[in-house]
Amino acid sequence: MDQIVEKPDTLIGKPIPKPDAPDKVVGKTTYINDMVLPRMLIAKIKRTDRVHAKILSVDISAAEKVPGIVAIATAENSPKGLIGVLKDNPPLKGDKVRCIRDEIAGVAGETEEAVDEALKLIKVEYEDLPGVFDPEEALKDDAPLIHDDKPGNLSLTFDFEHGDISKAEKDSDIVLEEKYELHYVTHTCMGPGCVIADFDTHGKLTIYTQTQYPYNYKMDLAPALDISAGDIRVIQPPVGGAFGSKLDVYPFEPIAVYLAKKARRPVKLFFSREEEFIASPTRQPARVYIKQGAKKDGTITFRDVNVYLNNGGYTSWGATIPAVMMRTMTGHFRIPNVEFHSKAVYTNNPFAGSFRGYGNVQATYVTATLMDKMAEELGMDPIEFRLKNAQKPGERTPQNSLLKTAALADCIKIGAEKTNFLEKHAANVAAREKPGRIRQGIGIATSIHNAGGAKIHKSDGCGTILTMDDYGRATVITGASEIGQGIDAVITQLVSEELGIPTSDVIIANNDSAIGPWDVGVHASRTTFIAGNAARNAAVKAKQQILAAAARQSNVSIDKLDLRGGHVVQKDNGVSVTKLDRLLRQMHFAGDDAELVMVSEYYEPPSELEDKNHVGDISAAYSHGAYITELEIDTLTGGVKLHKMTCVQDVGKVINKLGIEGQMEGGIAQGIGYGLSEELIIEEGIVKNPNFRDYKVVTAPEMPEIECHFIEDDEETGPFGAKGISELPCIIPGASIANAVYNAIGVRFDNPPITPEKIVRALHGDKIEAAE
Amino acid sequence: MSTIENYLAPSSIDDAAAALAAGSATIVAGGTDLMLQAGSGQKEYAPTLINIQKITEMRGVSLDGDTIRIGALTTITDLLTDEIIAEHLPVMATMADKFASDQIRNAGTVGGNICNASPAGDGIVPLLMYKAEAVLASKPNGSTETRKVPLDEFFTGPGKSVIQENELLIGVDIAVPPAGFVGGFGKFGPRPALEIAMAAVGLGGVVKDGVISDVRVAFGAVAPTPIRSAETEAALEGKKLDETTISAAGEIASSSISPITDIRASDWYRRHLIRVMTEEILNDVS
Repeated sequence: MDQIVEKPDTLIGKPIPKPDAPDKVVGKTTYINDMVLPRMLIAKIKRTDRVHAKILSVDISAAEKVPGIVAIATAENSPKGLIGVLKDNPPLKGDKVRCIRDEIAGVAGETEEAVDEALKLIKVEYEDLPGVFDPEEALKDDAPLIHDDKPGNLSLTFDFEHGDISKAEKDSDIVLEEKYELHYVTHTCMGPGCVIADFDTHGKLTIYTQTQYPYNYKMDLAPALDISAGDIRVIQPPVGGAFGSKLDVYPFEPIAVYLAKKARRPVKLFFSREEEFIASPTRQPARVYIKQGAKKDGTITFRDVNVYLNNGGYTSWGATIPAVMMRTMTGHFRIPNVEFHSKAVYTNNPFAGSFRGYGNVQATYVTATLMDKMAEELGMDPIEFRLKNAQKPGERTPQNSLLKTAALADCIKIGAEKTNFLEKHAANVAAREKPGRIRQGIGIATSIHNAGGAKIHKSDGCGTILTMDDYGRATVITGASEIGQGIDAVITQLVSEELGIPTSDVIIANNDSAIGPWDVGVHASRTTFIAGNAARNAAVKAKQQILAAAARQSNVSIDKLDLRGGHVVQKDNGVSVTKLDRLLRQMHFAGDDAELVMVSEYYEPPSELEDKNHVGDISAAYSHGAYITELEIDTLTGGVKLHKMTCVQDVGKVINKLGIEGQMEGGIAQGIGYGLSEELIIEEGIVKNPNFRDYKVVTAPEMPEIECHFIEDDEETGPFGAKGISELPCIIPGASIANAVYNAIGVRFDNPPITPEKIVRALHGDKIEAAE
Repeated sequence: MSTIENYLAPSSIDDAAAALAAGSATIVAGGTDLMLQAGSGQKEYAPTLINIQKITEMRGVSLDGDTIRIGALTTITDLLTDEIIAEHLPVMATMADKFASDQIRNAGTVGGNICNASPAGDGIVPLLMYKAEAVLASKPNGSTETRKVPLDEFFTGPGKSVIQENELLIGVDIAVPPAGFVGGFGKFGPRPALEIAMAAVGLGGVVKDGVISDVRVAFGAVAPTPIRSAETEAALEGKKLDETTISAAGEIASSSISPITDIRASDWYRRHLIRVMTEEILNDVS
């Protein structure tokens, strides 16, 4: 009798648990920080205690004598190659130190105690140099020069011009001019920095790293070592978070390699939590001068933006964030005339790196609060003003981003409707005039982000190899890294959907650069879109190969066959033609006709590089979001309590319901921290709060209720219609909170985080003057 | 990091006092402050580490006549569920509910909170309000003896107290508050949990017919040690708790202190918070 296989419900949009989650929950996962290799040494770094100084001498003689010390690397005895986007960062500093995290020596020994002892015995003599800590101060002619070959302390600049802003300003009925100071925050990964380096007897390096960028990592690391990029094998054990912080190579990584080479043994170098705060990257702090004009009817006429980024001592990927910042400044809402100029400037502060949102957190804080202010100045409500300037589907931004679906207006409308925004907004404004300690606030902020990869390299592609074994299991070897964001679950789901096999029958291999094909890394909200497309396309190819074999065997035409529930079935009636595993074995062991299902795919998204003027449609898709915050403020203590965040986001298509909600919630927690509480306090180059007591991440009780509304507009180029979603949740909340705070108390803050003390000072400023 | 050469885990006050008599020891109870301070290099271990967690007689709350003893090893979590605390010293439970996180409350002890002598130690503020006395044990001449030090004379500076190297804090004694005694505890930090106080207030007194007497006011995080505020107490003693009195007390509370400005809060903001919380508690008890 024929076996009928019912057509199962689609997996797309279903909540699929992350395959790595159970092991993490029960404590079984071996994170890189837990790894131990045979004969492995422990290593740490001797850092400077100066922010800007000439190094006169480094004396390691006493440290070398500590029992158990095997190798000490200094600038003098190590390779001289440089790291960093501008190759301005010697992993070990020999001539001078430029910021507090600078590395003087690496020490490897048998025990942590021996290493700690040796670190104390390294003597460094310095001649202090004057420091400079403010980007605009550092640009002045008489400022201390931080790098001899970087005149004016200038790192990277970005400039974009479109239309005629001076004419537009003259034609404007209203012009607002604001200055923002956007602060230092850091990633606070649960797993502090860690790397393990190991050479084989051929001199080839295996490096176990937290990188989220494994293939380019080789290219970025090699110049600091005296070996070829091709001789580096990158292994990515499970990591405790990255969020952009693992996009760069940092000095501790080549230092571990130098030590492994000297010791001829594996070396594991790791950070303490305090070191993680001091020596891992920060978000790029920005001083933003912005001018925006509009007509009386609410039509925006121009934007003029000047940004000074505090680069710190060295240039990392962080200095390239204006590339993303600019897209929002020039292309979020219809801006007919726009100029954007940014300068990343060297200072003696710790250097900033890349961080989820990549400049768009800063850009959105500025633009979304300015939009709010302009609406009020124009006498328009915040919704009407935004809708007036929201682009329509098919429009292009000045930088040529094609807004195919442009769900901005829908996001705003749905958000306003779901929250009864206008009524609450007006009521809160009216309530400000009445007595009362607690004030309610509601605020909206919107943004745009690339959602179909971002072509910042010559390729934005991802390679995938899919093989099927004799038991019907699919192994997907993908270049895409799993750093906790959930790509393993998404790929599992996409492949399982195409091949008609259970999710438990999909195996993902993606932690070894010697095995996986190239990918450009986890960044730019790209993996679901790019790696998802690559995996799905590979699965489609495998399916074709399988169905072709089944068609030959069964004499049923290939277009009438399908894969379902581990069977090849007739598409129309579900009658099983053969079991999948049986067919795979028959294909495999077919003598001269033997074939293994083993396909590959290199997916390159339909996007283009920017030209030298920063014009180019860099992403295959863009996504908008509108987040509405409801909160209350205790006007006596300044305490802010978040009630609810209603998030409307254009996601193309939900692939994994659990995954997308997790991404939203995690991003929102970071975004709230940016807006309300997190700040790495740096005074004269020194980190003042390198601990979780004084660096205030958001904890569970402060999280508001989160209500997500996903707009599913089926992106034609995305896997099953999906777009990348992961950065907007971190980008928008800060600005949304700031606008809600204004609605509650009538005060705008151009200097997040909006702490209780700032709120109280703003409300009771007169009393402060009297007291001080 | 200095090396720990001996590890001792005595099971009685007597044994612990004997071990301390030898000198050069570090005492560990919950370890929630000590481990961090040792890890960051802020504190060095002495050659002998004495774990006092096995001294069961030092844990728990007991009532003997008119005196309540809170054993030094009583955890912050214990304060939340103890019946004697609930009946006689409810402000200790209010404090415990605002103290750090569940994990830290489970490990951290009342004695440890006192001996750490942090200017911002949450537990100390209501203890000052309850006029607690520290009970210190030592064994100088072969026999264990104790002495009592009123808590408002106990602290000498940040991290510093009158406790001697050979002494062990075994608990605090508190006279059962008089009938009609009501009090409150306020603490402010930007987070509702896992927060160190920017300022804290413990305030109580006997309220009868709207008049407050036997007033005790304590502040945390506004001076080098947690303090009693004699000026604020004087401003309230015997007064009717009306709007004028409350507002005047808030004003005196904020002007009677000279807090520091640091990364957590400015001097001005700390004074402001003290005023707000003082008035808030007075409004609650009036």
